[in-house]
Order: sequence, then C-alpha cells, then structure tokens
Amino acid sequence: MQLSDRVTGAVLMALGAAAALAGSRLPAVPGQDVGPAAFPLLIGSGLIICGALIAFGIGRSFEVPEEPAAGPGPWRLGGLRALVPPVLLLFYVLASERLGFLITGAIMVFIATLALGARPRLAVPLAVVAPLLVHLAFYKLLRVPLPAGLLSAPW
Amino acid sequence: MIDMLEAVRLVAAPDVLIAILASAIYGLVVGSLPGLSATMATALLVPVTFWLSPIAAVATIITASAMAIFSGDIPGCLLRIPGTPASAAYTDEAYAMTRKGQAEMALGAGLWFSAIGGIVGTLSLVLMAPLLAEMALSFSTFEYFWLAFLGLMCATLVARSSPIKAIASMLLGLLISCIGMENPAGTPRFTFGLTDLLGGIEPIPALVGVFAVSEVMRAMITPEPPPLPRRKFGSILANQWKLTKKYQWPMWRGNFIGIIIGVLPGAGADMAAWVSYAMSKKFSKEPEKFGTGHPEGLVEAGASNNASLASGWVPSLLFGIPGDTITAIAIGVLYMKGLNPGPTLFTERASSMYALYLIFIIANIIMIPLGIVMIRIAATVLRAPRASVMPVILLLCAVGAFATGSNLFSVLMVAAFGCIGFVMERNGYPVAALVLGIVMGTMVEQNFITSLIKSDGDILPFFERPVSGVLAAMTFGALLWPVGIWIWNRTQGRRLPAGTAAR
Repeated sequence: MQLSDRVTGAVLMALGAAAALAGSRLPAVPGQDVGPAAFPLLIGSGLIICGALIAFGIGRSFEVPEEPAAGPGPWRLGGLRALVPPVLLLFYVLASERLGFLITGAIMVFIATLALGARPRLAVPLAVVAPLLVHLAFYKLLRVPLPAGLLSAPW
Repeated sequence: MIDMLEAVRLVAAPDVLIAILASAIYGLVVGSLPGLSATMATALLVPVTFWLSPIAAVATIITASAMAIFSGDIPGCLLRIPGTPASAAYTDEAYAMTRKGQAEMALGAGLWFSAIGGIVGTLSLVLMAPLLAEMALSFSTFEYFWLAFLGLMCATLVARSSPIKAIASMLLGLLISCIGMENPAGTPRFTFGLTDLLGGIEPIPALVGVFAVSEVMRAMITPEPPPLPRRKFGSILANQWKLTKKYQWPMWRGNFIGIIIGVLPGAGADMAAWVSYAMSKKFSKEPEKFGTGHPEGLVEAGASNNASLASGWVPSLLFGIPGDTITAIAIGVLYMKGLNPGPTLFTERASSMYALYLIFIIANIIMIPLGIVMIRIAATVLRAPRASVMPVILLLCAVGAFATGSNLFSVLMVAAFGCIGFVMERNGYPVAALVLGIVMGTMVEQNFITSLIKSDGDILPFFERPVSGVLAAMTFGALLWPVGIWIWNRTQGRRLPAGTAAR
C-alpha cells in the first residue's frame, strides 16, 4: 500500500480538520476558559499544518527509501494478502465465542500458514499443535478465560 | 543496607530466577528472528506478567528486552537483515565483517559490548535516579508538561525518516489518546457512540497491533529471508579483550551517548545506535575503513544501544514518562503491579528499586553465556520457516489482546492498529512516534490543561520556573533540530541528513 505523499498529506489534513471541527463543538466546562475542546483543536491544527507540509514534499530529503520488495509472491493479487492477518483477527472476534478457542485458533493458524506459502504438510500439524499449546499456556497457567465453544480442551 | 539485603532476597526468590531465565531465552529467540523487534517481544509478554509477582514481572521485561536488543545483531551479522531496528545502524558493517571471515569477531563484539553497555547503563541508572528523584519532588505540572512534551519531540527525532512525517505520526497518536473520557473535564470525546471507546484506547492492544500484527502483514507480501548457512564458529570471545583495549575510547563514548539518549524521554535504543555509529565514524582515526568490516563502529554502537536501554528507565521510573517504546510497556506493568512511577518510588520502595538494579546486572551477565549458546545454535533456530512462526505470533496477538481486558473489543483494536501501522510504515511514517503519542497523550493534556487553568490562560508561567525554562528550551531545540540540519546541508552544499550520515 504505497501511497504518494500528496495522498497521505491530504488524508492527514482532512483528519486534522475533522478533529478540530468535532473538538470545537464539545461542550465547555462552565466558568472555565480551557476545556475539553482545547487539546483536539490544537492537535487538529497541527495535523493540518503537517499534512500540508507533507503534501508539498517538505522534509523528503531526510527520508531513506525502503528497499523495494523483490518480485510478486507465489499468488496473484499479492498486495491483498497483507489483509489476511487483520481479517483473521476479525474472524476470531466473530467466531471465538461460538466455535471456541481451539477450533477458531486452528482455522486462523491454518489459513495464515497457507497464505505465507507453506504446504498443507506443515499447515495441518501446526494448526493442530499451536492452538493446543497456546490454550495450555494461557488457559491453564495464566488463567485467561478462553471460550470453550464446541470443543473443550482435555484439561 | 537493609534495603539492599531485602533486594537480594526479592531477586533470589525462585519465581524471579525462573522468570529471568525463561524470559532471557524468549528474548534471545524472538530478537534473533528477522522482523520481530524487541518492542514486540516485550508487548507480547504483558499478559504473562499479569500472573507474576511484581518483581518477577519487571524482571521478565528487563531481561527479555536486553536479550532481544543483543540478539537482533545475529541475523544482522549473518544475513544482513537486522533482527531489531536497534541493530539496523551497523548491520552492513557486521555483514561486511562476516564476508571477510570474521563472523566470530563481529558477533562477539555485539555480545561483549552489549553486556558492557548494559552494565554501564545500569550504573548510570543507579547513580542518576536518586539525584534526579530529589529534584523531581519539586516538579509542578509545568515541568511535567514540558517533560512529556520533550519526550514527544524526541520521539520524532527518528533516524531515516522525514521529521514532518514523524511529527504527524505523533499528533495522530495524541489524537487517538483523546478518544474516551479520560480527560480533565471527563467529557466523552470521539467515541462515535460506542461504549467500548468510552474508556479510551488501551496502549497494549495498540502496541501489539502496530508492532506485531503489522509485521505479520508485512511477512505476507515480502519474500522469505534466505536460510542461514550452517557454519562452525571459532571462539566467540577470543579477541574481545583486545578490541576492548584498542577501542576503549569509542566504547566509553558509545556508553555515554547511549546513556544520554536513553535518559531523554522518548528517544530509545535505535536512535542511540544510529547516533553512536555516526559519531564513531566522524571521530575515528581511520574513517575510510568504515563500511568495509571495521569493528570500531560496532563496538561503539553495540555498547550504545544497550546502555540506552537501561538509562531509558530513568524518566520512566521517576516521572512515568517512557524513555522509549519498551519502557512505555514497562510503565503500564509498573502501574498494574502497584509500583507506581514517581520520585517517591525511590524512598518508599527502595528495596524494589535495588532489586530492579540487580536484575539489570544479572540480565547483562547471563547474556554472555546464553548469547554464546544462541550464536552457536542460531543457524538451527533461524531455519524455522517463517510460515510456522508468523501464524503463531498472530494467534498470540489475539489471545494476548484478549487477556489484557478479557474483552473481544481489544482484539478488534489489535487488527485495526495492525492496518494503521502497516500503512504508516509503508509510507515512511515512523510508528514508534505514534505509539508514544498514544501512551503520553493523556499525561500531556492533563498537565497542559491543569497548568493553563492555574495560570489563568497565561502562557508566560510555562517558562518562568527555572527547570521548566530549561526543559522548554530543550523541547524547542528538539523541534528545530531538523531545521538546523537542513540549513547546514544547504549552506554546506552537500546532503548529509541525520540518518544517512551513518551510511
């Protein structure tokens, strides 16, 4: 997701303007000059200035460009694969209560391993072992209330 | 004296010793995996610290971070991929030494001078903290405002990135910290009607997202690093004493710079390494050898980044203002464990403080034997395919975030911050500044608004007290520093920006 400085600068300016505007509408504390509005207003205006400077390319000379990533991955739509981890986390949020930690975790690990280009020979055992170990450590030792769902652990 | 004995007793408890050993191994392994930084290693430890005693909890953080900063040198040296950002400054140099057949010397220098830097940094913490604690007792909200603001400005002095983008990242962090009702007036702000946002954004899910999830996302689209060639290493520490004597002066300078940068709130190990490497090159008798596999810069920067790690605890313990992203996590743990940062910590909980110093020393001493073992088995550890490590990290992110508050909303936050961190990093916005903005935002605002109310909206009292005047000057210095470099480059007619000076 490489965006030009103009785009990111404009986004920051818009964000700053929104923050300043929303901040200035906050109700003031009666009898005081400075209230909850002051800080968002300051930050918002700071963001507008920074966004403008970035959009005009000021400060570029300090940047060291990242080494370009070598060729596309094994799949097409390579860039979209970056979205796999957040989507899997979203899946965890939606499914863990119903399916339980072990099944949700196994599905997450399985998909993530495949997305990283591994063969099922690695993905299947990892998807079985990793959630079990994590469950053992967090549920048994650290007493995190992980949901049991459909499949409860033997301990 | 009684406090000292009590500290020994605290540290000698079996759970503390086990915690030190386990977190040392954890830190060494995670730090050596390319892309997994010391900050990430520490952030994933936080849920574990919930169930430990206060001293054991602090011990895990200290040990794991020190080990991870050292072991980041291993893949840097052998593969030219820095394991943590703090080793990025001298990765090329170390790799050049490996190509010359001096891998032992390069790795040994990383280990030996890391340990020395860590111990010297600890001594500075021991000496400096009580002195500053006395001074800190008289600090008012004005001083605290400037200190926190100085921390934010230092966080924007990130090497190899545009200072304006760094400031923008920091402001974004401050804006995120505005969310919720944790502000002086108690007004809910930017909650979009969501009750989950009323309590504000917790720093730990944000940290895990920005440092761990974004790294897993990155792994998805970058090619797998090449496997490490198996090789037999000769003696690792053989030549280190000779190096110590030969480069004594650079070593001390590295320690010193590391301590100074560590004490500055906001600036951490990676900055220390960059500055020290650049200094070393500038003051060396043989600067032409830099970049061709010359140990001098390695000595200075390797000592520097570990020294800054220890002295970074000074502002954290005294003022609750993080010295870097690692201590930002540590502060959260300190609060949770009832060791609230502040000057009184040194008088009322002296034994805990001594215990903390002892843990630092122990961690840096056991770093040497454990580090040697790690170097010898690094080829096997780094052979673990990335496809088997990253999914487990992702699962740990989900569980770790869930564990911090036992609610699924934090997992959602982790995913969101993963995306934010990923996009920011791709476009050259330093994420450490964002994180420090989130962590310090509430504190800056609290002290800023309180000071303004005290002074009746007048700006002048912010500069009137002597200490706050000095801190204000330092803050503006940090703000104007990039402008100075820019003017210098213009007048000198050549490009020598802060970060690239180190190349």
